[in-house]
Amino acid sequence: MAADMADQNKTAAEANVYSEVLSPSELFAARSRSHKIPVRGQKDFFPNESEQQRQRLEQSLTEHWSLISEERVERLGNLVRGLWIPSDQTVELQSPAGKFWQTMGFSANGKQCLLPEEALYLMECGNLQVFHDDLPLSIQDGYERFLSSQTVTLQQYQVFGHLKRLGYVVNRFDPSSVQSAYERQLNLPPSRDRAGRQLKRKRTPSPGPSPASTSSKAEAREESASGRMEEDKLSLEGEEEADKADCPVDPPARPEASQAQMDTTDSAGGGPVRKWWTGDVPPEPGHEPDPLPTAASPRWDFCSISFPDLGSRESRHSSLASPDSSLLPGDLSVGVCDIAPWLGKLNLRKVHMSAREKDREHDRRRRQWDVNKDKQVRRCRNWAEYRELQARRRQRDRPPHLWESEVTPLHDPKQPISTKELQDKISVIKSSRLQDDASRLKSSDEWRICFNVYQPDTVADFKKSNPGKPYSRMCVCSFDGPVPDLHAVKLLASQSGDVPVVCAVVDHGDISFYTFKDFQLPTDVYD
Amino acid sequence: MAEAPPCKERPCRDEEEEEEEEEPASPAVGLSLCGSAPLVWHAADVRAVRALGLVGALVGSLPRQPRQNGRLGRPLLLGREEERLLAESHQAAHLTPAQQGGGEEAHRQQVEQYEEAQRRSYEEQSVLALQDRKGALLRAMSGQDRGEAPPDGTSDEALSGRLRALDQSFSFPRSALAVQLSTARAGLACCPETRRFLRASRPIRSQDDGPRAEARYRVFRDLRGRGFYLTSAGKFGGDFLVYPGDPLRFHAHFIAVCVSLDEAVSLLDVLAVARLGSNVKKTVLLCSPAAGASDDQPDVVYTSLQWSGMV
Repeated sequence: MAADMADQNKTAAEANVYSEVLSPSELFAARSRSHKIPVRGQKDFFPNESEQQRQRLEQSLTEHWSLISEERVERLGNLVRGLWIPSDQTVELQSPAGKFWQTMGFSANGKQCLLPEEALYLMECGNLQVFHDDLPLSIQDGYERFLSSQTVTLQQYQVFGHLKRLGYVVNRFDPSSVQSAYERQLNLPPSRDRAGRQLKRKRTPSPGPSPASTSSKAEAREESASGRMEEDKLSLEGEEEADKADCPVDPPARPEASQAQMDTTDSAGGGPVRKWWTGDVPPEPGHEPDPLPTAASPRWDFCSISFPDLGSRESRHSSLASPDSSLLPGDLSVGVCDIAPWLGKLNLRKVHMSAREKDREHDRRRRQWDVNKDKQVRRCRNWAEYRELQARRRQRDRPPHLWESEVTPLHDPKQPISTKELQDKISVIKSSRLQDDASRLKSSDEWRICFNVYQPDTVADFKKSNPGKPYSRMCVCSFDGPVPDLHAVKLLASQSGDVPVVCAVVDHGDISFYTFKDFQLPTDVYD
Repeated sequence: MAEAPPCKERPCRDEEEEEEEEEPASPAVGLSLCGSAPLVWHAADVRAVRALGLVGALVGSLPRQPRQNGRLGRPLLLGREEERLLAESHQAAHLTPAQQGGGEEAHRQQVEQYEEAQRRSYEEQSVLALQDRKGALLRAMSGQDRGEAPPDGTSDEALSGRLRALDQSFSFPRSALAVQLSTARAGLACCPETRRFLRASRPIRSQDDGPRAEARYRVFRDLRGRGFYLTSAGKFGGDFLVYPGDPLRFHAHFIAVCVSLDEAVSLLDVLAVARLGSNVKKTVLLCSPAAGASDDQPDVVYTSLQWSGMV
């Protein structure tokens, strides 16, 4: 390549193997070059100095070098032109963006911009030509100018490029965009004020089922009071009403039920209120919602707010008192709410149990300890005698050398207890979940999440303004660095919320992906 | 590998002798730093690195097919050991980062040069495009001729008419102009004179690492000196993958794990790495740099582990 272009170059200095500038005729010829990658043949096991092996190696190397030395040549019409703005560390587009705009870039001050890693990736793909001081930047310029510890490091870019080449949608991770577990549970709209960069258009409020919609505070105020009450009640059901769980409460997910309720309330917004509980964020199965709010989020003191208990059979009211006015937005008043029609829709049918279930229930009752079955206890005429009896028994059953010292047995074998409770009691070290107490951890500079990753098959419907829940989040680290300890893993997991965190470990040119998963030991206990 | 003084100035003679014979005045390989990572950008430099038996890792998108990870393209990322070996054998030099030197005037000239080159490229490419079109027309017409075989005169006339029309009407759209997106930065570093100067001054980045990095380097240097090709082996739980020949043509035979001679190793760790090695059909090499290497002592002590089945 270098030899036949020598005559066309002007100066002698350029005519050497290091010049990789193509002549116009070479550029023209490059339009019809092949896009196939030569296949690599079967490798040999051991070099045996044979002529055949030498030839094959030579051929492989020749193919390799022709592939490696190839320069990017593109039609000017296919190139988007960009301008490197060092002060902002962004690339400003000067011609209309291409297809990539669906998943990359942002608008600022009416201009289309790209983040440096996005621009560099597009340069490498031959889609973008970036200028600085009226001169085009080479790929090398891009690596050296765009990549830094302030933007994205080379290692992070290696992971970014690797995932982008595989077709994933990759965005920078913004820690403030993640809702706390508590906020997710309440289905609160994420507040836009915290997000780092504003997106171009303000989204119009839509009744879409996504919790991540960019509804502002004003929009939230438009939600009807009944909607809000319902939302609070339902999401707290798990916590507040867990002990009254035997009351069968049908969540008003059936359309006719919620419709009936809407008719009876003066819904201020009038719009489809149902979006609060249509529940595209179902509570995590298997465990109660994490009641730990992060430091920033408590807005209401739920100890002092009473919640309407519609399911309870003891207190059957036909109407709900109006909520405390201090809990409502200033311009809203809510009257007494008639819930009779809705209660009429409640499923009050008795639970039919099979013979086996009845047996089990009977068994359970039988095992339950009833103090009145004890003859000696029944003989007691007053509390004093009962206490005396208990003291006597303690003396007899509990040898003082075991029970009177500071350390006592975990369980008194005379006391009946179910196997499960006993197991709970003797498991001195309790199992914990990855997210437990994680919100209290101090953040570290060493471990942070770099990218949100969305799966390639979502590209067609991907919206930058409303990307939805990522498939995973990437933390970039290296084999030279330490393995994340429990503190780091917990911290990353809490930063990411309910999206799995994957560690992309960069080893020189190789990238391996590892992930830590929360795991509960299954308990198999017969009651 | 008999003598191996652990001093820093050891020039790795096997390397130099082997390679210098072929290219006595080979200019230094130009490295550019991206952050702290040494990258090789020029295709000639990438080749030169491989000719020295160093593999490195390609980390850029391949221009021919950018959206795949199977084959990657420039730049070539060098490992710490590779960079150090090049530096200590005076075969590499760091190229200075993009300098904005030269001032306004020089910059204005550069812009003018660039714009002039673009104009020239457009003119030349439009001539080439016209020739291309004419060639296509000629081929099409002669193909017709053969089929119908009309009298010669009329055919020639029609052809020259068509060609004239093409000459007049042809315009090369600016959007069809083929432009190059350069991989490496063009500049002073390209000149052979600069290269020779760099080789003479040979600025070496001092690598101040712990004993672990030192051990890795000594193992790397020793294995390379024995003619092996090495790449990183993080995926196999080791330090290096050791190839008997160029990795393009041969599978790796060994997984090198660097452990110091006086370091206690847990038996379970040894079992784990040996098991992993046997699963990927490679032999695990425990490589320990000798403490006080002298003439009658090898520089690195190797222990190979292999899973053996008892029948």
